Formats: sequence, structure tokens, C-alpha cells
Amino acid sequence: MKKIALSLVSALALASAAPAMAQTINIGHLADYSGGTSDVGQPYGQGVQDTIAWINKNGGVNGKQINSDFNEYGYQVPRALAAFKKWIGTDKVVAIQGWGTADTEALVAMVTKEEIPYYSGSYSASLTDPKGRVNERSERAAPFNFFYGPSYSDAARAMVQWAADDWKAKGGQGKPKWVHMGANHPYPNSPKAAAEAYAKELGFDVLDPVTFALTPGDYTAQCLTLKQSGANYAYLGNTAGSNISVLKACETAGVKVQFLGNVWGMGEEAMKAAGSAANGVVFPVRTAVTWSGSAPGMTTFKDISKMSDPSGNAYRSVHYMAAVCTVMYMKEAVDWADKNGGVTGVKIRDGMYQKANWVPKGTDGVCNPSTWTATDHRPTTKVDLYRSVVKGPTDAPLADLVKNGTIALEKVATIDLPRKTELQGW
Amino acid sequence: MAAESMRPCGDFRTTYRADQTIFATRLTFAFLLAGIVLLALAPLFLSSYHLSLLIQMGYLGIAALGLNILVGFSGQISIGHAVFFGFGGFASVFLAEHGVPVPIAIVLAGLWTTAVGLLFGLPATRVKGLYLAIATLAAQFILQDFFVRAAWFTGGTAGAVAAPFTILGFDMSGDQRYFYVVLVFVVVMYLFAANLMRTRDGRALIAVRDHYLSAEMMGVNLAKYRTMAFGISSFYAGIGGALYAHYIGYMSVEGLDILFSIQFLAMIIIGGLGSIMGSMLGTIFMVLLPELTGALASALQGSAIDQMLHLKDGITYMREMLIGAVIILFLMFEPDGLAHRWRQIKAYWKLYPFSY
Amino acid sequence: MTFQLLLQLVINGLIIGTLYGVVGMCFVLIYKASQVVNFAQGEFLLIGAWTCWWLLTYWQIPFFWGFLFSLAFMMLFGLALQILVLRPLIGEPVISVIMVTIGLSIFFQALMKWMFGTFAQPFPPVFSVTKVDILGLQVQTAYLMSTGVSLAIMAGFAWFFKYSRMGLAMRATAFNQQVAQSLGISVRQVFALSWGISAAVSAVAGVVVGIVNGVSAALSFFGIKVFPAVILGGLDSVLGAVVGGLIIGVLENVAHYFDSQFLHWGNLYEIVPFYVLIIILMIRPYGLFGTRDIERV
Repeated sequence: MKKIALSLVSALALASAAPAMAQTINIGHLADYSGGTSDVGQPYGQGVQDTIAWINKNGGVNGKQINSDFNEYGYQVPRALAAFKKWIGTDKVVAIQGWGTADTEALVAMVTKEEIPYYSGSYSASLTDPKGRVNERSERAAPFNFFYGPSYSDAARAMVQWAADDWKAKGGQGKPKWVHMGANHPYPNSPKAAAEAYAKELGFDVLDPVTFALTPGDYTAQCLTLKQSGANYAYLGNTAGSNISVLKACETAGVKVQFLGNVWGMGEEAMKAAGSAANGVVFPVRTAVTWSGSAPGMTTFKDISKMSDPSGNAYRSVHYMAAVCTVMYMKEAVDWADKNGGVTGVKIRDGMYQKANWVPKGTDGVCNPSTWTATDHRPTTKVDLYRSVVKGPTDAPLADLVKNGTIALEKVATIDLPRKTELQGW
Repeated sequence: MAAESMRPCGDFRTTYRADQTIFATRLTFAFLLAGIVLLALAPLFLSSYHLSLLIQMGYLGIAALGLNILVGFSGQISIGHAVFFGFGGFASVFLAEHGVPVPIAIVLAGLWTTAVGLLFGLPATRVKGLYLAIATLAAQFILQDFFVRAAWFTGGTAGAVAAPFTILGFDMSGDQRYFYVVLVFVVVMYLFAANLMRTRDGRALIAVRDHYLSAEMMGVNLAKYRTMAFGISSFYAGIGGALYAHYIGYMSVEGLDILFSIQFLAMIIIGGLGSIMGSMLGTIFMVLLPELTGALASALQGSAIDQMLHLKDGITYMREMLIGAVIILFLMFEPDGLAHRWRQIKAYWKLYPFSY
Repeated sequence: MTFQLLLQLVINGLIIGTLYGVVGMCFVLIYKASQVVNFAQGEFLLIGAWTCWWLLTYWQIPFFWGFLFSLAFMMLFGLALQILVLRPLIGEPVISVIMVTIGLSIFFQALMKWMFGTFAQPFPPVFSVTKVDILGLQVQTAYLMSTGVSLAIMAGFAWFFKYSRMGLAMRATAFNQQVAQSLGISVRQVFALSWGISAAVSAVAGVVVGIVNGVSAALSFFGIKVFPAVILGGLDSVLGAVVGGLIIGVLENVAHYFDSQFLHWGNLYEIVPFYVLIIILMIRPYGLFGTRDIERV
């Protein structure tokens, strides 16, 4: 039986031995189009693909083309692992565009060992501590993990801050009540401790968390107890599918609570799916403007979008835009590495540290200025909060809904959190 | 068992010893030995990608063998194997954190998982068939919930960092070295299983599967053997999970879901229920299937067919559909699994050219 | 206040429980007739919901007709699936057939994502009144419709199995395939029909959940959710599936009540049904209404 394995494997070796070209930069791209997180994984992955295609079309990085190996892994760790091994073993990649909590967490130790920068869509605060043990809450070092946008914890803290301001502005009496809602799962729980600690600090009454599964279902029970508990601000920690169910159930049950979403739990697509139930939800957005906004950098974004949609009519969600920014930051770092001694993983990492408060060329006014240092991988602690506005039925195509104003995102605040070492890594 | 019927005509056995032997002839033994030696040389030739696939086949194969002992040999379906796999991983990480050397921690983790498996195997004393299968589904959800709650044990939702595998201070991490660790475990665990099946206990398990009433009449304690099968199966799952944890260097509850449990089932059904070798064949199949379809997909990407049909993202979905379709078609044409096909091929050549 | 909350939760549990019951019933139907444990039951919901959604949004068909068309389509789909995929497997080991249904589930999950995208899509507004007040509990009209339709289906099933020729043939087949065949019942037809009916009725649940939560791939998780309900009631009892569904529905809600009011352990909503499942199986190994094989050594 082992002989079969061996012959199969060697057959595979012949099949997959990719010719390495001299003037290319090999990177890996891990995406989920078919698994549990495909709802947001698809637009994000599309953004990564389009941006790389756009970079290659516009001269590449210093004239070198990016050779990106796309791997769809269905949010399954073993497949992500195999892809990673292929990339370091066969393709010799210098950087990886990763995706979610599962693959990022599973690969932290390995990318550190292989010294390959891993850009992911997982913004867990535990990835922001490159040295490890920066404070007693920080569990481990992640020197090669990068992401663009506020960490989950900082985004949640910003919403606590906003809630406190909102409570004051509305003239609320007594202690406002904060409740964390979400599945008992790594993703929803990632910012839980941070948000609850900060809420206590700001004088909130922190209620027992309400759990609901990561899959859509009937969450009337959760809404009824939420209503009965008298919570004022409820943080929805799950990904979009189940958040929609909760919003809808709570709308039906007549729950008057200010819901707060999270980066992957809300967006234009989720607003469309939830309809009027999503009206009023406040959530963090990673870019300075959304697709319908205007900024100098938007021309680049529109160009990038045409890579997969030549008509130029597609509406791109916040997830797509965040992906573009992530790739553009990587591109600049690769560029720096190329000019300073060759494109290697370590050099790309160092490339990320070269500037402070910078935006990649061509993305001004869209990507938020970010800073990475050798001791702190929090790109930004400034968080833009938007409110979702939904008027009327949402069964038309998304582009039309945005155009006629049925769906809109309006900015409510920019929260500038202090960059404290005590708050890093958790 | 199907294996018996595939034996060529004229191959009579006159002693019990001959009937119980693991290696039917010296040649099989020699082949196996040669195979292991060849594998042991693999790190010299293979890239870390191919090694990592072999390592994956190793630890998943161990866990799949455990499931096969439960499903294929004792006839009890389990759809919660992934959590026992996970438990082993967490237990080993936990023990290593508390000062137990990693190699010992892996074995202890296996034993610890055995205890948990026995606990969840208790319904097997009364419940059987599909009802039992769903009771294991309960184990899946209950343990998954436990992993998230028990932060002292698993690191909670944040997960736990696993210590690298070292023997007497010699670091065995990295694909080239870790490959040998997994190889040793695979050989030992597979030999152990092959050996188990020829002991009284192993044959009792098969008797329970084939006809539990007759088995009980012959003095086989049903309750004992049913729960025992759960214990053994969990031991294998635990060892597999522990090897996984120290390979990745990190253990998290994420990914230990029901889909993973179903994948284990797929491995043994495709490999062949009640076949030790089949467990490994099925694992190889299930590890390579996404890789091969992936290679096919990337070959198709940007090709003429892609341009013509405007497939674009469709390719990734076609790949998933292909995985489903291969499983369906495979079972439609080979419902008894790869092990059965392998035996047929062997029989064909043995009788060649006079097959009848 | 808390008593009223409990009451509302129980009502909600009953409404959701009926939905579980219907899907459970479909599951049992297939199991009873053809001894197949169908892991692709959730995909029936999914495909049904997407079909209805597609008819309503692209073709702008009124809901009533769109709904009927999708049921008819699902009926044909179920028949086709049985004839093309499962018929060749008759006589093969049960567990291989289970695996085939898992393969079907993987296949259709990907196909649906390809055809309809990965994101949840809302149904066009179907009811002019979106919610109704029942004893202080606001209930979605869609759920009320589902309860009504479910009850009608259950009554229909009861009649079908008791009086109709085909229903009796199905019961006979479930009882003993060989004897049924020797009496002139076409077992092949019965198998195909059971898959057809099961797919169509599942689609009802799919459409309802789709209206409430939007249609997305995650809908198929419902297929796994009904396992406890089915086992609780007894795998081969249609009545049991309904009762099991109701029990699970109420149990979830009541568990959540005690969790939120007194215990504060969190997540009991999801976990308690499984604990109860194990306890019930220890006491009654064949579920509440399942056929008991009496064997003595």
C-alpha cells in the first residue's frame, strides 16, 4: 500500500513541477470560495486576484511579474496546510495572501519558521505582537503575520467607545448595558475580552453573553431574552449569515437595541440579505470610503475592478476593497525588497516597516494610513464606523440598490484609540 | 469477510496459525519491508510539499484506522471521530506544556482520549445501529462545546501552541525529520491493529459485527466489546490528533467540525470497511483527491477551455463538484472500497492467464 | 414577565418544532421506504429554496405559483436523483449508500454556490403583513404559513399512508421488501416516489426558512439539525419525527430560557438537545416511537 502512495506521489511530483521563471515573483493565494466562509471569502479573494492581475498588467513590481498561485481550500485546514507546503517546497513563494482564522492560526508557527510574510483576512489581535509577550495578555509572537485594517479587538473597542459617546449624546440615564452576542467559537470570541474589559472601564453594565450558532437559523429565543435583559448595545460577533438571522428575528420580535456589527459580519451584501432589519447597524469599515464614495485613489480601484468585470458596472463591497488595499501594501513592500537586496520573505517584512502612516501609491483617500513596526503589527488604531441605511425592499441587484439609494452606508464617527502597549496582542 | 472469499482456489489452510498470520507469505513481508525502507528514504528525494502530504496521510491514516476498527470491525457507525482526533491533540499539547516530554505526551494523550472515548461509548451498551451513530453525533457537538469552554485545557477559543517534537533534546520538527516520527507511529499502529485482529478480542469484535446475537450466545460480552471498540478507536484518533498538533505546532477547535468527521468516514468507506490496508488506501485517496482536482483546476485556469466557456471562478466550484462526483461515482462502481479492488487485482494476477 | 417570556419561548419552540418535524418526516420517509440515511436532506431544502427564489426574482412569478412550481420541480428532482444515482446502489452496503448521499451533498453545495453565488439573497416581499401577534409573541407570517402547510402535509401523509393505494404499497415495502414485491408492488416505484415526495416536502421548509433568513448555502445545515429530532422520535416512525421535532424545538427554547435566566452557562440552546438525546437513548434505545426489535439471548 505504501508503494502505491509513493508512486502516486511521484506522479504528482512530475505533474506539478512548475517551471520557475527568472523574472517573476512567486506568491501564494489562499481563498475560500466554497467553504464555510465563502460569503465574504469570495469578494475578498476576487479583490486579491484582480489586484494582482492589475499590477501585472501595469508593469508588475519593478518590471517583474507576480506569479500568484491561486488555491481554493474550502476553509479546510489540511488543504491549507498542503498548499502552504507546496508553496514553500515547490514554488518557493516569498509571500502569501491568506484568508481566514482557520488557516492563519494554523500556519502562524510555520510562516514564522519559514520566514514568509502572511497577509491575511484574519485580524485577530493575537497576530499583532511580533515579539511575543508584549504584555501578560499577549499569548504568542507572530512576526510574519500582516493584515490591513484595525484588529478585531480594536474595532470592538472603538465601538464600545462610540456606544459610550452615543449614550451620552442621547442623554441616556444610568449605566448603559453592553452585551456580546455570538457563537462559542474562535472568531466571535476573538474580541470579546477586549470589548468587555473596555466596556467595564467606560462604565457599561456588561451582561452575560448571548450565544447563537454560526449558521442561519431561528434565533427568536435569543432576541426575546435580549429584549428582556434590557440591553442597549449588542455586539454581533458572528459572520454575516447568522447575523442576518438574528437581525431579522429581532426585528420581528420588536427588539429595540443598537446592534453593532463586525468587519466580516456586515457589509453591503449582508444589508441586502437582511433588508430593513439591517437598518441602523453600526459597524467598522476598513477603507476611508466605500465603492460609491469619491477619493483620488478610487480611479485605481475602478481600474482594478475592470480586471474581472470589463463593463465596469459591478458594485464592489467593502471586503473587495479591503483586499485591494492588502495586496497594494504587499506590493510596495515587495518593491522595497527588490530595490534593497532582493525579494525574500525577510526583506518583504522589512519593507513593511520602512514608512510610517503610509498609503500605497495610487490608493490615496481609500486605504487608511497604516504603520507597521518591528514591535507592533497593529496597522492602525483609528477606526471608521459606518451606519447601514436600508430603505425599502432589497430584492433588486446590489448595484441598482446602491445607485437608487435603497442601500447606503453613512459614516457616523472616526474613533481614534490610543496606541497603548497594554492593549496590544489581545 | 470478503478477504476470505477472494483467496484463490487451492489455497487451503491446515493450521490455525496459518489462518492467523499477518503476512500470508514471506514475499508479502518482504514487500512490506521494502516498502517501508523505500519510504524511509523518501525525505532524501521528495520536496517538503510531497513529504507533508505523506505526513498528512500518516496521521490521518492512523485516525482513520481507528475509525475503521470501530465501524468496519465492530459494526458501529461514528460521526464524531474528529472531536476525538482533536481531543488527542489538545491532550498532548496540554501534557507537553506541563513538562511531559512530547513523545510520551503523545502516547499518554492517546490513552487519555481512550478514556474519553470509553465514556462516550457507554451508550453503545444499549443503543445500536443508526441510533448509536446519532449518539456519536451528540459527542461531536458536546465535545466541540467543551473545547471552547475548557480554556485551562485547550486554551479556549485562542487555541494552544504545541511544543515541537524532540527526542532526548534532538529536534524532530520540520518535514524531513517529522516524517520519520510519523512513519514510526504508522508502522507501529498498523502492526498493532493487524495483530489485534487475530487475537481473541479482535475476533470477538468481528463476531459482534457479523451477528451479535450469535456472538453473545458464544459467550462474547456484547457490552464489553462494543465499548472496547470505542476505546480502541479513540486511542488511534488521539494518537493521530497528537501527531497533527505537534506537526502544525498549534491546536485550535476550528476545523474539528462535523465535516471533518465525515471526511474520516469517507476515508474508510472508500478504502474499504473492515480492511486495515483499506484505511490507509482511503486516506491516501482523500488526501490526494483535493490536490489532484486542484492541480487539474489550475491547469484549466486560463486555458483555451476556460477562455471559451468563460468559466473563471466556476473552476473552483467545478473542482468541489468533482470531489463530490468522484466519491459518488467511485461508490457506484466500487461499493466495497479500494481494498476490495486491490484484492481483485491481486487475484487476477495470481490466476493469470487462467482466471475463471 | 419571566413567565410570559417562557410562554413565548414555548410557542416559538412549537412553531420551529413543526418545521423540524416536517423535515424530519421527509427524512424518515426515505429511511422507511428505502433504508437510506440521507445526508443530503439539507440540500433538498437548499435547492428548493433557490429554485423558488429564482422563479420569483428572475421571472417575477407570483409567490403562489412560484412555490407550486418549485415543489413540482423538486418532486421531479427527487425522482431523478433516485433513479439515476440511488437505484444502481440497491443491494449495496448501507454505509456505502450513506457515503453517496454525502457525496451528493458536497456536489450540490458547490453547484448551488456556483449558480447562485456565495452570499445570502433575500426573497422579494411575499406577505403584506410580515408578522402576527400570538399571545404577545411576534411571529413571522412565513412561519405561520409553514405551520399551516406543515399541518396540512402531516394530515395528508396520515391519509396517504392509511387509505391510498400507493401509501399502503409504501408501508408494505417498508415492512418487508420481498413480500411486497411478491404481492405485485413495484418496489422501484415506491423507492423513487419516496425520494420525490421527500424532496418536494423538504422544499417547503427550505422556502420558509429562505423567506425568513434569506437563501444561502448555510440553509442545508437544517439537514443535520433534524437528526436529534428524528432519532428522538424513532427512525422509522413518521409520527415520531413530528413529535421529536416539536420536542427539540421546545427544548432548545426552554434550555435557552433557563440558561439566560438562571444558569448563565451559555450555549445551552445548541447543546442541550444532544444531552437530552443521549439520556433518552439510554432509556429508550429505539427512540420514543421507533420499532423495537425484541431479541433475547
